[in-house]
Amino acid sequence: MVSSNLPLLILCGPLAVAALIFLLPRGSSPRCFEFAHLVSISFVLVLSIMIVGQVIDGNQLTAFGDWLYVDALGAVFLMVIGVVGFLTGLYSIGYIRHDLASGALDAGKMKIYYGFFSLFLFTMLLAASSNNIVMMWVAVEATTLGSAFLVGVYGQKSSLEAAWKYVIICTVGVAFGLYGTVLAYANGSDVLGNSRDAILWTTLAAHATSLDPMLAKLSFVFVLIGFGTKAGLFPMHAWLPDAHSEAPSPISALLSGVLLKCALLVIIRYYAITVRAVGPEFPQLLVLILGSLSIIVAAPLFFIQQDLKRKLAYSSIEHIGLIAVGLGLGGPLGVGAALLHTINHSLAKALLFCGAGNVMMKFGTRDLGSVKGLMRVAPVSGLLLMAGALALAGFPPFNVFVSEFLIFVAGLKAGYFWLMLVCALFFTITVAGLIQIVANSVLGKSPATMATGDVGWRPILPMAILLLLVLTMGVAVPQPVSRLLQSATAIVLSDSSSVAIAAPWQEPFSTTPQPDNKKAKPLALATGTPSHTETNP
Amino acid sequence: MVGFQLVNGLAGLLIVTSLLVILARRPGNSARFYALQSFVLVLIFLALAEVSDSHELYLWSASAFVTKVVLVPIIMYRAFSKLDDPKLGSGAIMPPALSVVLAALVVILCFWVVSGVALPAAAAIKPALAVSLAHFFLGLGCIVSQRNILKQVFGYCLMENGSHLTLALLAAKAPELVEVGIATDAIFAVGIMAVLGTKIFLTLHTLDARSLTTLKG
Repeated sequence: MVSSNLPLLILCGPLAVAALIFLLPRGSSPRCFEFAHLVSISFVLVLSIMIVGQVIDGNQLTAFGDWLYVDALGAVFLMVIGVVGFLTGLYSIGYIRHDLASGALDAGKMKIYYGFFSLFLFTMLLAASSNNIVMMWVAVEATTLGSAFLVGVYGQKSSLEAAWKYVIICTVGVAFGLYGTVLAYANGSDVLGNSRDAILWTTLAAHATSLDPMLAKLSFVFVLIGFGTKAGLFPMHAWLPDAHSEAPSPISALLSGVLLKCALLVIIRYYAITVRAVGPEFPQLLVLILGSLSIIVAAPLFFIQQDLKRKLAYSSIEHIGLIAVGLGLGGPLGVGAALLHTINHSLAKALLFCGAGNVMMKFGTRDLGSVKGLMRVAPVSGLLLMAGALALAGFPPFNVFVSEFLIFVAGLKAGYFWLMLVCALFFTITVAGLIQIVANSVLGKSPATMATGDVGWRPILPMAILLLLVLTMGVAVPQPVSRLLQSATAIVLSDSSSVAIAAPWQEPFSTTPQPDNKKAKPLALATGTPSHTETNP
Repeated sequence: MVGFQLVNGLAGLLIVTSLLVILARRPGNSARFYALQSFVLVLIFLALAEVSDSHELYLWSASAFVTKVVLVPIIMYRAFSKLDDPKLGSGAIMPPALSVVLAALVVILCFWVVSGVALPAAAAIKPALAVSLAHFFLGLGCIVSQRNILKQVFGYCLMENGSHLTLALLAAKAPELVEVGIATDAIFAVGIMAVLGTKIFLTLHTLDARSLTTLKG
């Protein structure tokens, strides 16, 4: 472990900007708020890249007396926060200008938006970099509090209702997470006889085999319910469709693409402790059940929605379910594919929610009955929305195909043929729903009165970058990302066996930075048992 | 031993104060009873600090007094006393007698669950530990059984007090910053819920959770 200021710095940036924005007078020029916002998201992007770079080089960064800790697992999520946070933040500039011009927001609400955006980024970064398990809980709880006003920023009846449900359900859910945290800490404190170190995730994971098995199981159940609520797993998902549909589109992208994943990271951290404490069967069974149910319930609900953003929200539940299924399948293949899907879903869903934002700017509604022929009236937006829909549907060469394929391979290898078949059937329903969006809303006949003209370059640019990333991850998983995912998988499983995380058509490459290691087979092409290579988590 | 008996006895008193918070007709009164309950919690912390010789718990007691006995009840009392929905009544979906019976069942169930915990640190304080777990679930019950959105906030507070007591019972020497983090978070949570509750009342002119049904499906 290397002591570094970077984990602390990346937190200080957005927090300081949030404070500055709240201190600025309401009457300040909108450009002031936009500039401060741009500084904040650029700072987070640059520092997250620097941190991830150091982690890929084999370092684990610690700061603030080991309370902050970034290993490969945390780095995966920091990367998602940095990239998606930056691009949705960039998209916000054009979107909020449109809302200001249309009267949906006023200067005061714009200030709230930009202030809470940075605060929200800060809380998510804290959740991803916490090593202190109580601070981890505080951070996840703070994400709710930081984003509640963003969900209800329009101040309409429906958005206030969504914000209230979001706060109540998530706060109560995360209270379960607190109880699980307390039990884990008490368990560690009692066994280790050291109250100070038992609060660190690294200490608990290192001594997990000594923990009381009953309390470890009980703690995981509470954590799964608590943080599963925040992650949007069925049956604790009730807040998600409301909050995602009522929030401004860039915030919906941030909620779906990043926030759900932060809660998932906490579950994965406890999953890792529980695997070490009581073996993999118990945690795997629980996440497999919740993940499968999430897919089964969300797919039909996705299909029947007429509200575009609500539809995408149910898709998020489904994909979080698929990530949970990957974790439930276990092994280097299942966990690695689940982590890859975490990244891929974040990018694709951010692209789609931004696309929904363009639809809102152009049509002024999310009702799919009224949104027709986007391609004819706003061709670039139409193209981007169509690409996003096809990506989310899991078509190659987009990224979601690769990670979905790997999860299904992991399921078949683990002997879950029927479960994978059921999941595939329900995903087919989703594909049908997404094709409907493409056929009607994108390629259909536009209203005769609708003026032609796109939404401007400001919203288009970040979407184009998102599409580029979606395609890049789909054509070939970059080698540094693949290595990072392997290291993260090894941390979760406490196991040195690993397989390369790559697209089925990719050439095999070394699994670790060390030159003398064996080459691993790409997962999808591997037959029999996964190849076992030395890894250096 | 006397110290542990005191802890267990005071924990029993927590259940009584929880019921008072849940059953009070007006949110303003619930805030008063919540302050009373938090005071009992502080007394438990002090008793535990004495028997476990925990310097940290003395500090917890002080910070819990400031946050839970003073600040949070004041925030809730000031925010909630202005909001009144006469049509809603108490907002409870079941009669008080049934609430008491169900609370007793929860407590019994939690005693049964806690009896299976084998941690040495929990041996002398199992009744209090069971109460802390029951307290958590009583808070959840308050949220589920209340139509008044402001009373739902108290449900969260009860859950948080239950977790807090469990932490103190099982890890008396936890760093003070942990307790500060949890308490600060609770203040912010209650503050934000109070602001949102007020906005909802000003927009919808009701506190009835059943009126929040625009978003469905």
